[in-house]
This record gives sequence, structure tokens and C-alpha cells, in this order.
Amino acid sequence: MVETGHFALVLAFALSLVQMLVPLVGARTGNQRLMAVGGPVTVTGFALTALSFAALASAYASSDFSVASVWENSHSLQPMIYKITGTWGNHEGSMLLWVLILTFFGALVAVFGNNLPASLKANVLAVQGMIGAAFFLFILATSNPFIRLNPAPIEGRDLNPILQDLGLAIHPPMLYLGYVGFSICFSFSVAALIEGRIDASWARWVRPWTLVAWMFLTGGIAMGSYWAYYELGWGGFWFWDPVENASFMPWLAGTALLHSAIVMEKRSALKIWTLLLAILTFSLSLLGTFLVRSGVLTSVHAFATDPARGVFILCILTLFIGGSLALFALRASQLTAGGLFHPISREGALVLNNLFLTTATATVLVGTLYPLALEALTGGKISVGAPFFDLTFGPLMLPLLAIVPFGPLLAWKRGDVIAASQRLMAAFALAITAMLVTGLFIDGASVFAALGVGLAVWLIAGALTDLAVKSGFGSVAPPVMLRRLAGLPRSVFGTALAHLGLGLTLLGIVATLCFGTEKILTMRPGETVELSGHTLRFEGLTPQKGPNFTEDRGRFLLISDGNADGAITSAKRFYPVRQMVTTESGIRTLGLSQLYLSLGDENSDGSVVVRLWWKPLVTLIWGGGLVMMAGAAMSLLDRRLRVGAPAKRRKPAAALASPT
Amino acid sequence: MLFWVIAAILTLGASLAVLLPLTGGVKGGSPAGDHDLEVYRDQLSELDRDMARGLIQPAEAEEARAEIGRRILRLGAAMQPGAATPKPARSARWVASVAVLAVPLLSWGLYSMLGSPDLPSQPLAERLAKNPADSSVDELVARAEAHLAANPADGKGWDVLAPIYLRLQRFPDAVTAYRNAIRLDGDSAVRQSGLGEAIASAAGGIVSADAQNAFEAALKLDPANAKANFYLAVGLAQEGKKAEAVAAWQKMLGQLAPDSPWRSAVQQALAEAGGPAVADAAPATGPDAQQVEAAKQMSPQDRQAMIETMVAGLDDKLKQNPRDEEGWMRLIRSYVVLGKADQARAALGRAVAAFGADSAQAKKFTAFAASLGVTATE
Repeated sequence: MVETGHFALVLAFALSLVQMLVPLVGARTGNQRLMAVGGPVTVTGFALTALSFAALASAYASSDFSVASVWENSHSLQPMIYKITGTWGNHEGSMLLWVLILTFFGALVAVFGNNLPASLKANVLAVQGMIGAAFFLFILATSNPFIRLNPAPIEGRDLNPILQDLGLAIHPPMLYLGYVGFSICFSFSVAALIEGRIDASWARWVRPWTLVAWMFLTGGIAMGSYWAYYELGWGGFWFWDPVENASFMPWLAGTALLHSAIVMEKRSALKIWTLLLAILTFSLSLLGTFLVRSGVLTSVHAFATDPARGVFILCILTLFIGGSLALFALRASQLTAGGLFHPISREGALVLNNLFLTTATATVLVGTLYPLALEALTGGKISVGAPFFDLTFGPLMLPLLAIVPFGPLLAWKRGDVIAASQRLMAAFALAITAMLVTGLFIDGASVFAALGVGLAVWLIAGALTDLAVKSGFGSVAPPVMLRRLAGLPRSVFGTALAHLGLGLTLLGIVATLCFGTEKILTMRPGETVELSGHTLRFEGLTPQKGPNFTEDRGRFLLISDGNADGAITSAKRFYPVRQMVTTESGIRTLGLSQLYLSLGDENSDGSVVVRLWWKPLVTLIWGGGLVMMAGAAMSLLDRRLRVGAPAKRRKPAAALASPT
Repeated sequence: MLFWVIAAILTLGASLAVLLPLTGGVKGGSPAGDHDLEVYRDQLSELDRDMARGLIQPAEAEEARAEIGRRILRLGAAMQPGAATPKPARSARWVASVAVLAVPLLSWGLYSMLGSPDLPSQPLAERLAKNPADSSVDELVARAEAHLAANPADGKGWDVLAPIYLRLQRFPDAVTAYRNAIRLDGDSAVRQSGLGEAIASAAGGIVSADAQNAFEAALKLDPANAKANFYLAVGLAQEGKKAEAVAAWQKMLGQLAPDSPWRSAVQQALAEAGGPAVADAAPATGPDAQQVEAAKQMSPQDRQAMIETMVAGLDDKLKQNPRDEEGWMRLIRSYVVLGKADQARAALGRAVAAFGADSAQAKKFTAFAASLGVTATE
């Protein structure tokens, strides 16, 4: 079974070479048969990769220590779920998951792409094949998960205890679905550049892929953030860690792409810019893969460091980013420019959005790469952390967030800011009220708190205003309004939900940062502590034994209004195989807020160091992410073609803006 | 065999995926313009539906319709009527054949370089279930572990497993096993001294207070326990009490049976302690207390010279009286300790010659020398 998986992987590599060359030649020479090879080869390549992945997963599940990767990253005593998720909890397996998702997306294009022009489809599949071939080669040459050991050891070295968590089952697959999903947008862009033209179906096709990739990337990042929050035991949800930035940059660029693709699909404008953004977004995904996988950065994500791998990925990176940008420089001038529009219009607002988002991406890129470059050049180590990003990324985001509610209320081609502002009066009043309430009653000292809460309320109310205006709130009778609301295109709901989610996340961040409280103290059994109106009594430590660890579990009793209100447990776990200690934080969700508790070291006199946090509205941070995902899903369900209906008062001069 | 069949089937499938589209009929592919037209038609029908639902005002819809109509017109002008697909060129056929051939050749070639086709899968459960006679030591240990995980109160099981752990150098496991055996099956000198050795080995050979307690417990049960005596002396040496350690070892040499496996360990320890390496049970030939005292006060070079003189004396004595079994072994070891491998080898040859190559003594000498890393020939 293991060797079958190995053989299937090699076969998939051979097929990816065919996939990258034959349809490309077919498209160049206009040969239908050669172009037709792309589809079946892509689907077969996916089936073989899936077989290979299944073989590896079954080796992990059955603790087959004759496979080197299993021996290094698994243990027979691990619970079954972690044996299986351990398949991608290591470098080799995670790269296999990467190509599995890549070939999966390729197969989707092959199967559902029948309405694409044959040559475009052939080129897209060929570009997918190139990416696939590069990564298959990378896996086979430097990170083969099927290397065998003979004789086989009898016991493995265990999975990194930090990764022995349900988060590993969700975070990497989602993140990869996002990263790799953007490869389809990239392939479509490069294919359009190879063809030298963009036709109407291009925009129609790229947007759903952008939505899918963005949705999963949002979920992956949110999940990763929550995982770090509860697993690392110190209550932070975002650390501006280079590895986090590596996933955040494609997200920012992808968000820009999502918005510019709307303009392109609806108005046939911003074509060249959208193309460039698609290339940049996937390039940033590749950069993220490079940063995480090359061992340039040491973190929990860098499973193994091997210079050969780093150099190889750097070559892939150079080849794809350099190649696609060179092609862009060569061909962009041949592409027909899109329609024109008035600066104050939906298109204009979306351009502004793109401007801010790309600048923000560049900021994060500088903050991530500058320390690495400095270290490479001078050997000096500097740390670029939260202060840098607070000063650069923050100020860029504030104006962007402030104009978000205007966007959906502006008409296409020519918008009316005053009309939009009038419609947003209620939302604005709400936001000001929220600011005043925050400043006067909750926290008068912090300008940031008042501003942040106001901005979050502004975003949330703005998103709801959009729905209210579009359904005719206040101008028609309620039954008519409800009927109109139900009849609104799903994409309108998608926009509103995504913007609403953004507001919720912002509210969660601001509330947690500004109103959260924390305490560090030593406690003996029986002692109580109070934090933000919650009383906790330490019941004591009890030793426990898990399947592959031992732990000291601390039990705390939450007391509300004098009555016991359930227990919170936090533990220090010891994993003997790796000789590692992890902290299992104790979390109790109360409404949208959380009480977060983590055990420290035990003192010789029997008392224990306890760290306590009160995190108000903290769940909104990730809840907002879920709402954003729901928004993207809603937009995906909208199969309606976007037809930019020109505004009524269009002047003849605007006819210049006619699309191709 | 099954693997090769599967591999062949997979290769066939992959090759067919390349081959079939190449041989299949061309579906009269339409030029790209047709697709655009489809999109625009879709947009028009969508517009009608929107208008019926009241999502768009009639006037705006009319304008949008005109806009789409203009796009269609532009498309019609751009499309070249009857753009026939070119006939497959020879180069295309060449590409096709290379592609079809590349899949099996490349995959089998690459796999033969990378794969291990003869190595079957080895799921752990299967390995543990097979006949014990076919199992490796590791597998047997894993089986015993599984048994003990299910029956942790099986003292005999722990007792059997503990020394195996010790030999496999799994010292922390050995500590646990010895402790369990003592807890379940009671104290014994062997278990306590084993526990002490496991604790000391886990700590990289340092005889800690824990280990010391275990050895002392063993001596209470059996004062002659060699392992406990030996390690307690090691502990003394580690504490800097060299003289006491040497005395303890010397005492052991006097008490140990001649064939005790501990003799060589004790003698080696004595040699390492800087004491007289050749000191042995026969005090007459060893250095007397005066000599030892003198050696202590010498510089290292002088001490070395003194030892060499003594070894040379032994060598001379054996030349005159070659039928001294103990003497030959002492001489060989001394040369090894002094780092003179050649002379050790020569001494071995002379010893074998003295007793005859086929004698029992000669075999004993050879085995003894081999245990010190000396062979008769280079």
C-alpha cells in the first residue's frame, strides 16, 4: 500500500509534465486533440495524488514505522484522530496535502470548465500543470514522504505535542484551500496573458475562484488565530509573527482582488489591474510557502529545516513570480483597456479600496522581510513587531474602514456621495453614540477605545443600512419591504455579511485590547480570586494520565452571585516521548466574552502560578471571520450574472466608458 | 507481485488518460467568440428576469440591454467567419507520441530510482500479532509492553522486561520497570542493584543519591552483590574519594570468584582511576602498599614510567615461566591499557605458543584478547 502511494506520486508527476506541455502546444498550434488532453490528464493526476495521499494517511493511521515520515512524526499511543491529522502535521505530508489541493482545483476546472473557450481552458490547465510539476518535483527530490526504513523501528518519535489538537484537523487544510485556490486565479491570468486577450467569460470565471479561495483563507486564518489563542496559553490572538503575516498578505491582496474582480465582472473595467493582482496574490501565497517551509523562519510551522528545500522553493518562487511578471510586462499592452468611470462611483470606491489594501499589503511585506534581509546582509537581528504594524498598518486601515459603508451605496459609473451620506445618517448617529458612551461611561482614558468601538459600530450599522436601503426600508410598506429583501440578489447579502463580519471582528479586537483585564498570582487550593466581577476558587491540582501524556490538572470553580457555576480546568501536560511540556488553557465562554485561565509552574510550597484574563467580546474576533465566510458563501450561491446597469442620468460623454 | 500488478494497472490508466483524447474525435471546437456570445445572451436573459422581479428599473434595463447589444455587435465584427481549425500538423503527432511514451518511461524510471518495491507495508498491529519466533527483539519488547499496559500488576512481566530495557539502553523505562517489579514482587538484591544501575545509566553514569540508596538496599539483602559494590565504589570515585574507591575495588577483587564477569570491569575501573592497572588478586606480584603510595606522589610521567617498568618485569617473568595463565592475561591487558596494541598482540601470540595453539588456554586467551579489542592478526 505504501509503495503503491509512492508509485502513484511518481506517476502523478509524470502526468503533470504532460499536463503542462501538451495542452500548451495544442493551444499554440490550434490543435483540438492536443488541447483535449488537458482535461483527462488533470483529473487522472488528481486521482493519483489522492491515492498517494490516502496511502500516506493509512500508513499514519496504522503506525507503519517503516515509513520514515511516520516514524518521525507519529506514535502508536496517539489517539486515532491525531494519527490521521499527523499526516499533514509535518513537512513532507503537508507538501503532499498542498499538491493534493492543487490537483483538486485543477480537476474542478477540467470537469466544470466546459463553458470555457477550449484554448483558454487548455492554457489554464497547462499553467496549473506547471505549478503542479514544480511542486511534485520538489516533493520527490527534497521532501519525499515515502522514504522507507529497513528494519522498521518499533516506535515512533511522536507528533509535536503542540500540534496534537483538533486545530490541526482544520487549520492547515483550510489555509491551503485558500492559498492554493488563488493558484486558479493565477493560472487564469497567465493563460490570458499567453493568449493575449481577455474575453467575457474570463471575469465570470475568475470571480467564483477568488471567492472560494478568499473564503477558505479567511477561515484558515481565523482558525489559526483561535488555535494559537487557546493552545499557546498566553491569551494572544495575533502576534504579527512572520508566519502569520505570510498568510495575512495573500488575504489582503486577495481581498483587493475580490473587489477589483467585481468591477471587472460587472463593468469590464480594471482588467489589467485585476490580472496583476491575481498574479501578485498567488505570488504572495508562494512567498508564504517559502517563508514557512524553507526554514528561514523558525516557528512551530517549520517542521524541519533543510537548506536544499529552501533553495528549491526559492527557485520555484523566482520562476513563477519572475516568469509571470515578465509575461505581464510583455503582454499587458496588448490587452484592451476596460471601460471608463467617474471618480465618484462604485468603481471609484473599489479602486480606493484596492489602493489602501495593496499599500497595506506592501507594509506587511516590508515588516516581514526587512528583518530577514537585514539579517542576511549584516547579520544583525532586529525584531519588527506590533509597534511597527500599529504605526503603519493601523493608520492605513482606519480610513479604509471608514469608507467601507459608502461603497455598496454608490451607483455604478457615477455615484452620489451626498445621497449616500444621507442614507448613512442613522448609522453615523449610532456610531457617534457608541463613541460617546464608550468615552464617557466605559473608558474615558483611551481615545483608541472610543474610536475603535465607534468605527466598528459604523461598519456594522453601515452594512445593515445597505440591506435596508436596497429593500426600500421606510419608503414602502413593510410586507413589500420584506418581499424585496427576500428578492435581493444573494451577492448583496454577501457584501453586507462580509462587511458586517469585518465590523464584528474589529469590535472584538478593540474590546479585548481595551477592556480586557488580567491577573497573575500564586494560588493555593481553596483560595479565591476575583477578576472583572467573576470569582474563581482554586480547588486543587490532580495528576491525570492521558493516552500519551501525563498532566497536572488544575480545577477552578466559577462562582457567580455566591453560587457555584461550573468548573474551569487548565492543565500542564507532559509528553514523555518528546520530553515536552504544554499548557492546556481553561476557557469559559460567558455570552460573547471569555474567562481565560492558564496554569504556570508549581512552587515548592504547593502554591501554583495562575494567569487569568477577562476577555470581553473576544469571540467576536473569530465569529466575525465566520460571518465573513458566510458572506463569501452567499455570494458564491449567487449565480446571477452581474450586468452593470448604467445610471439614469448618464451624459453622452460617458459613452466613452462603454465596455469592450 | 501484487504491487507490480497494481503499478502496471495504474500506469495503463494514466497512459490511457493521455492516449484517449488524442485518438478521440474532435468535437468541432468553436472559436472563442462563440463563448462570449453565450455569456452576453445569458446576460440578456438575466436582465429580463431581473426586470420581472423589479430589481431593475425598465429605463435602466433598456440602457443595459443596449450596452450588451453593442458588445455583441463588436464581437460580431471581430469574429472571422469560418475560421477553420488547422489540420493536425506533423509536429503535433510527434508531441502526442512523446507524451504517451513519457508517462510509463518516466514513472517507471523514476520509481526504480526512488522506491523500495520489495518492502511491504508494516502496520504496527500486524507486526505485533505475528509469530514470536519471527519477531525482532524490538517487536517482542513492544508485545510485552502491550501486555503490561493491559495488565500493569504483572510483577513477573516487569521483572523480565527490566533487564532487557537496560540492555537496549532504554534507561528511563528500565527504572520504571524495576520500580514496578519491586513494588509488585518485593525487594531483591538483583532488582535493587538493577534499579540502581538503571538510575545511574539514565543520568549518564552518575551515581546519584537515588542510585546509591538502591545499591545500599541491595547490599542489605546480599552483602556480596557485585554490581552494587562496584557502583558504590564508582560513586565514591565520582565524589573524589579515589583512595576509598580503589580500596573498595581491591577488596572486590579479593572476594570475587575467579570466573566472575565483574573482574574485568573492576580491573578496568582501577586502571581508569589511575591506580595500578595490573593490580590483581595475587598480591605477591602486584605493587605493594609502599609502591602504591610512592606512585601517588609521582608526576604522571614518572608514574607512567613506573608502571612500564612493572609491566616489563612481568614480561620478563613470563619469558622464564611461560605456563602462567593469569600472568599472560594480565600482561595482555596491561599492554592494552598502556595503549601498546602491537605488544599486546605479540604477548597474545607468545601466550598461545606457550600452551599450544589447540589448547583450551589458547582459546581462552584469544577470546579474552578479543574482548579487549586485540586480535592475533592485524
